[in-house]
Amino acid sequence: MFSRRSLLAGATALGGASLLPAIAHAKGSVASAIYPGTWEEAYRAIVAPALKKKDAVDLELQPLFAVDQIAKARAARGAPPFDTFVLDPGPRITGIEGGLFDKFDGKKITNASKLPAGTIDDWGIAVSAQVVGIAYNPKKVPAPKGWKDLFTDPWVSKLGLTGFQTTFGTVSLIEIAKIFGGSETNIEPALVELKKVLPKVAAVGQPAAMPSLFQQGQCDVMYTNTQTVATLKGRGVDIEFVKPETGAITFFTTLHIAKGSAEVANAYKYFDVALSKDVQEALTKPPYNLVPVNKDVPLPADLPMKNLDEMATYVQHDWAKINPLRASWIEKFNKEMAK
Amino acid sequence: MTKAAEWQLALPLALCFVSLFLAPLLLLIGVSFFDDDKITQPGFGQWVKFFGDPFSYKVIVDTLLLGVKTVCATVLLGYPLALVYLDAPPRLQKVLIFIIVMPLLLSVVVRTFAWIVMLGRDGVINQLLLSLGIISEPLRLLQTELGLVISLTQIEMPLMLLPLISVMSRLDPNLRDASAALGASRWRTLFTVIVPLSMPGLVAGCLLVFASSTTAFISQTVIGGVRLIYLPLLIWQQSLVVFNWPFAAVASIALLVSVLTVVSALSWLGRRSSGHLQG
Amino acid sequence: MGRQRSLADLSYTLVIGTLALLALLIIVVPVVIVLTTSFTEGRSLKFPPTGFSLQWYAELFDPVKSRQIHRAVYNSLEVAAWSTALGVLLGSMAALGLARSRHKLARVGDSFFMSPLVLPGLTFGLAALMYFTLIGLRPSLNLIIAGHMIVTVPFILRTTTASISQLDPALNDSSQSLGASWFYTLRRVTLPLIAPGIFAGAFLAFMASIDNVPVSLFLSTARTDMLPIRMWGMMESTLDPRIAAVSGVLIAASFLLMLIMEWTVGLTRRMRD
Repeated sequence: MFSRRSLLAGATALGGASLLPAIAHAKGSVASAIYPGTWEEAYRAIVAPALKKKDAVDLELQPLFAVDQIAKARAARGAPPFDTFVLDPGPRITGIEGGLFDKFDGKKITNASKLPAGTIDDWGIAVSAQVVGIAYNPKKVPAPKGWKDLFTDPWVSKLGLTGFQTTFGTVSLIEIAKIFGGSETNIEPALVELKKVLPKVAAVGQPAAMPSLFQQGQCDVMYTNTQTVATLKGRGVDIEFVKPETGAITFFTTLHIAKGSAEVANAYKYFDVALSKDVQEALTKPPYNLVPVNKDVPLPADLPMKNLDEMATYVQHDWAKINPLRASWIEKFNKEMAK
Repeated sequence: MTKAAEWQLALPLALCFVSLFLAPLLLLIGVSFFDDDKITQPGFGQWVKFFGDPFSYKVIVDTLLLGVKTVCATVLLGYPLALVYLDAPPRLQKVLIFIIVMPLLLSVVVRTFAWIVMLGRDGVINQLLLSLGIISEPLRLLQTELGLVISLTQIEMPLMLLPLISVMSRLDPNLRDASAALGASRWRTLFTVIVPLSMPGLVAGCLLVFASSTTAFISQTVIGGVRLIYLPLLIWQQSLVVFNWPFAAVASIALLVSVLTVVSALSWLGRRSSGHLQG
Repeated sequence: MGRQRSLADLSYTLVIGTLALLALLIIVVPVVIVLTTSFTEGRSLKFPPTGFSLQWYAELFDPVKSRQIHRAVYNSLEVAAWSTALGVLLGSMAALGLARSRHKLARVGDSFFMSPLVLPGLTFGLAALMYFTLIGLRPSLNLIIAGHMIVTVPFILRTTTASISQLDPALNDSSQSLGASWFYTLRRVTLPLIAPGIFAGAFLAFMASIDNVPVSLFLSTARTDMLPIRMWGMMESTLDPRIAAVSGVLIAASFLLMLIMEWTVGLTRRMRD
């Protein structure tokens, strides 16, 4: 039984929801969305203390996947639940089209000159690169040479697939489509070929489940980025990265300021610290393994490129073209893969 | 308070539900009547798109069937366990209760890992069957409906057993003794005495299991994989991957209505059987 | 006849026993797998684990390294406690009001209160976020409590209703015809009899709240990080064995709680009576 007092307290807790004022920002802070997992751990351990030390600004990290950031910001309609976004190219375009970002001024970033060309625009700034290719278990299968190998034995029966819901999945499927005659806007050939081998394929999974499926031996080949490979390797998983013969894929992860944010000045300070050489170098090291964008940072040996400018030769995609098609691709993937 | 006015006890909860549940839901229904994902053009476009596509019907049917299969599996395994509980000495009953609630203590996230370990190609079940010589090739269990139903059975077991046991343990033990004394076999006693009398608990359990398994998004996608498509996956994709909230709203309403139909039917059956017993 | 019966009874014992054993295995083995994994010496979530060590528990209890996990645990516990308390109060009242009513509206009300179970949590989370934002509320623990209360109260309602439908209505009537007040009858006759149902429901509601992903995903913020959301992130990117250790601690803590409840209020006795 509950005492009257606890009942009253309970009623207050519920009723109090409407009486509470909007969350007030602590003085000198910036609330930033961050990808859960490695990104969050890395930013908490390295960027937050660096920002506190340099500018006395508290970095409040809010772990959210890109899609959740967009969903939350859209639902909030003008009262952003956080001050800054961290996004992949697809959600970035959605954010721009949805008018979710404040206009960005690259001149306010002192480290801007250290970044490769084309990584700053009116909407935001790149903070890390991702390199996507094929990962395999060297103890179970030989190294595949390229995307085509994934459709033949011994790889096909060990293949773990993911769909168009992630950035790395989408770009990988586009590259697969290209070798079978498709293009950035035509992924049909990839689905046709996949459907042929589908009965043999080891797993078609949710991206979040792939590390576990790989670790437990359900699949031994999958497409993913260098960062995941380095992280799993660091944890003792048998995994290696292969740059496909048609080229590795690259794209940038970007930072943006939320429209309506009350902490714009602190957001710029946060971006600048996140892009500084020391911070970027620390983020590059295990267990974080993020790919840097500051050209002063020495690249780790695991990465397939010698310097950041080499990434200009990697395959890149135009997400302004991909975004409008992605919903229909997801539907097609559902229907073609469905049992 | 008189018996006739007892219904007023439901008012506080009703108030909460209207303001915290119905209102957001109405907002959702409102959103479904917009043609574009920016929610600016009113229209029936999303409804036409969803119900004009035969694939949607397949997904609805598959979702309901998954619920039915899970309910069947849970009853098949759970009901005997409840009977064993009923016959067990008090000390063992306590232990059993502790075991029965165990799945609830295991977070959904870790649970998916455990089932990958169990059902995988090199998994526990395959290893066991291979070493016993029952199979010569690993079975494909992960990412099949069978594997999914097995894993859901574990998660749903407490939802079936707790209401069932709470009703069963209130049955008069003399009834069973009387039935046995009259020469009925244990099977006969089970089907003519225990099952009918435990009906309210069984129905309550089935309701919980059905509803919970049809919306178990994480298990469905991680254990079942994305080749098995159920409504929650569609809703998740539409709301959080492609941001088509109006379409996600239509899919959620479809799920709500189809599942509620089954639930109401079960609920009606439960009321009828308990009414029958009391009348 | 006698032999036939003993044969039938033997088959009963065999069939029922085998199925119950299978049920127990399905319940227990995954738990054992997770617990075993939590003692791994290796650096990743892997079964079978390599070696035996308590390092992941040590790291989990390290206030610096696992600060975020601790905060998520406190938030989840606070939300679960409040939402369950509110749910027990409002849910059992509603069950008492509706279960014995033969009015058509009672059935409608019952379906209405049950519907959060069948509406996908993701959608309710999204709808709730849109709605709370619309009326000008910022995400906070209070809103998560409200959201969890809505999605967990059906557990309480359902189990309580099942218990009430078992009550003999004559009991109630006779108590009142003997001059007992409505409230006295409730307190001395009805509540003690339906307590097992309420307890069972409260337990389910509490655990469902602790483990809720979809509502928390939308309504939680940096300040109100919830445990399953944090674990989901850890599982996706790093296969961090601490997520198995978290489960180990959760299981141990809940068992302790159940033991205490057993000693103080006789939890299992209440369920059996």
